[in-house]
Amino acid sequence: MSLDATQQYTVLIEFVHKHLDFHNAELHSVLDMHGIRIGTDCHVQTLPIDGRSSEVRRPFKILSFPWSFIGCKFSVSDGDENTKREKCINLVTALSRCTLIRSVLELWGAGPTIDDCVESVQKGYYPRRHQEGKHLGIGDGAKKFEVRTWSILVHTLGSTYTREEQNDMRSAFSFLHLPGRVQMKDPDDEYLFIREVELDGQGGAVYPRHSGTNKQVIPENDARPPLACYFGRVLGNNGLGRNWRRSNRIEQYSLKKRCYLGPTSMDSELSLIMTNLAQIKPRGSFVFDPFVGTGSILLTAALRGAFCFGTDIDLRVLRGRNQDENISSNFKQFDLPPPELVRSDNAIYHRHFRHHLPLFDAIVTDPPYGIRAGARKSGSRKGGEVRPISDEHRYDHVAQTRPYAVSDVLSDLLNVAAMTLKMGGKLVYVIPAMSDFDERVDLPRHECLTLNYVCYQPLQTEYGRRTVTMTKIKEYDEKKRSEYVENTWVNGAESAEKVANIRERLIEAAKTKPGYEEKALRRKAIRKSTKETKKKAKRDAATKNATENAASTTDVPGDKGEAAAKDAAL
Amino acid sequence: MRLLTHNFLRSNVKGTENGYPLIIEVTTVRCEESPVDREFLLSLLPKVDYPALRSAVRQLGPHCDPPLPDLPEDMPWSDEDLTSLDDATISSLHRALFDVYLVEGYLVCPDTGRKFPVKDSIPNMILHEDEI
Repeated sequence: MSLDATQQYTVLIEFVHKHLDFHNAELHSVLDMHGIRIGTDCHVQTLPIDGRSSEVRRPFKILSFPWSFIGCKFSVSDGDENTKREKCINLVTALSRCTLIRSVLELWGAGPTIDDCVESVQKGYYPRRHQEGKHLGIGDGAKKFEVRTWSILVHTLGSTYTREEQNDMRSAFSFLHLPGRVQMKDPDDEYLFIREVELDGQGGAVYPRHSGTNKQVIPENDARPPLACYFGRVLGNNGLGRNWRRSNRIEQYSLKKRCYLGPTSMDSELSLIMTNLAQIKPRGSFVFDPFVGTGSILLTAALRGAFCFGTDIDLRVLRGRNQDENISSNFKQFDLPPPELVRSDNAIYHRHFRHHLPLFDAIVTDPPYGIRAGARKSGSRKGGEVRPISDEHRYDHVAQTRPYAVSDVLSDLLNVAAMTLKMGGKLVYVIPAMSDFDERVDLPRHECLTLNYVCYQPLQTEYGRRTVTMTKIKEYDEKKRSEYVENTWVNGAESAEKVANIRERLIEAAKTKPGYEEKALRRKAIRKSTKETKKKAKRDAATKNATENAASTTDVPGDKGEAAAKDAAL
Repeated sequence: MRLLTHNFLRSNVKGTENGYPLIIEVTTVRCEESPVDREFLLSLLPKVDYPALRSAVRQLGPHCDPPLPDLPEDMPWSDEDLTSLDDATISSLHRALFDVYLVEGYLVCPDTGRKFPVKDSIPNMILHEDEI
């Protein structure tokens, strides 16, 4: 396949080799929310490849836009000056929302080998266009072609090449005769040559160039031709650069940086992806999480600019540990307005809230599946007859809760989403499953919601979780509530059962592995020793305090007081 | 809890017919200014129960510093009329819905008198087992 650069403006998107199943869904969702339609505004090109067939998912995607769209409908300039123009979508700004994009190139040429790649650049329109300064956009402040500093970087996925070898690859592009000065740090134009090899599921090379033990080049692997070669100009030079994930873009939101956390907090990367799947807009999105927990998902939604609303049945997580460690303090840390939090029960949402208002633009949530936190709902612990609570005890009374079956958690979630989402609003939720889960039949459904994306994230060999995105397409009819709930599980109890007892099944699976007994014993011993150390530290602190108090009341001089404390401790 | 949330909450005790709007018993109130987002506000207004908001402002207003002025009695409620609201009305609506927090107090069901406590700005709407 050859890229016909005279007719199409092509862009190469390089993904990080991570969350593989999310690459397409996130990209499509972000393009969709910016009104860029694949099929009309742009097309997906097949990746260059020689005769080999590749079973592996490749972390690249080529999008092509009609030339006529560039500069009017879409802009690709780095600065913000073009985005101010009405109806002009800045592709760089739009794509930079994608958490999983590593870099975006204006693709000057591509081919299965480096020679093909060079030839395709030579044939293309880009070098000439660049020389004429057309890519610089309308900004007057842009430097002229003759004085633009530049650099060519070489990217060899998963294999290492020496500086000399990289220079050889670079020199293939010397025909470009770039007149400006070379500058490796923050050049005006950054070019990138990518040599793609076959990658395995973990992002390592299938045929590594160097052996893992003695770092020697493996000749037969080195001789293998690359899967494809790409050359282009990096987009988003200002601020984003070659590696869009550099410069703290994701890390600043890391869970480690937050003051309030819990065992159920969602990692920041996945929750950022979820906010993209939910298409949360920079302004004016109303986002709801019915199982808010420590508020980790809402926090990323707020970072995207949403107004957040969360409910949970557990008052302890909502309140947090103290004044400085709670959900609101996390929001304050990032200078965001506090979210609205209510303790209520999602099983009876319609009894806590007025009418069935289509209020929310998105519902983003990680429901409890009993893996880390078990689900509870309001109701008598034992069931059956309930003793009425007298008025004087009403305010001290601790409301009883009962276990909440996972199948009901999900059917209620989908029903609440159908009820409270605006038309076109998104439901994004996480569902764990073992390998027997068949997403074609086992996923919960609702008449008012249509399925958009299902992204699988493997966690263990037999176990993983899916992030499901749905859109509301039909008005909710309260009269059909029981029908909706009944039809949630197409396969009935069988599907619900598959997500219900995952914790138990994980433990069962772990027990069959060799060495489980010893590991369990060792862990038990560690737990016991940490418990004892803590106890001892507490005891020591108590005795120290007591002696200090005694010392201060009897007004003994310092050194003697310390001696007394030592005696007491002994 | 902002008054926006108050506007959506209702009492749900067994046997309650309506349970709306909840009466506010104030212990502590906090005011925190936030930037006005006109579009977002206008998208929410059609879903706000205006009489309930107005009565909530009257109950909470005197506890704020400076006190919240009463909202006008009549409010144009169709979509076209809403877009013509002047900036002063928009900002008073914004302040009422987004900038005032009930930190401590109670929400009282108008039918049964059941009190739902509000603590650390979080209303506890959970039902006791005999109220389901």
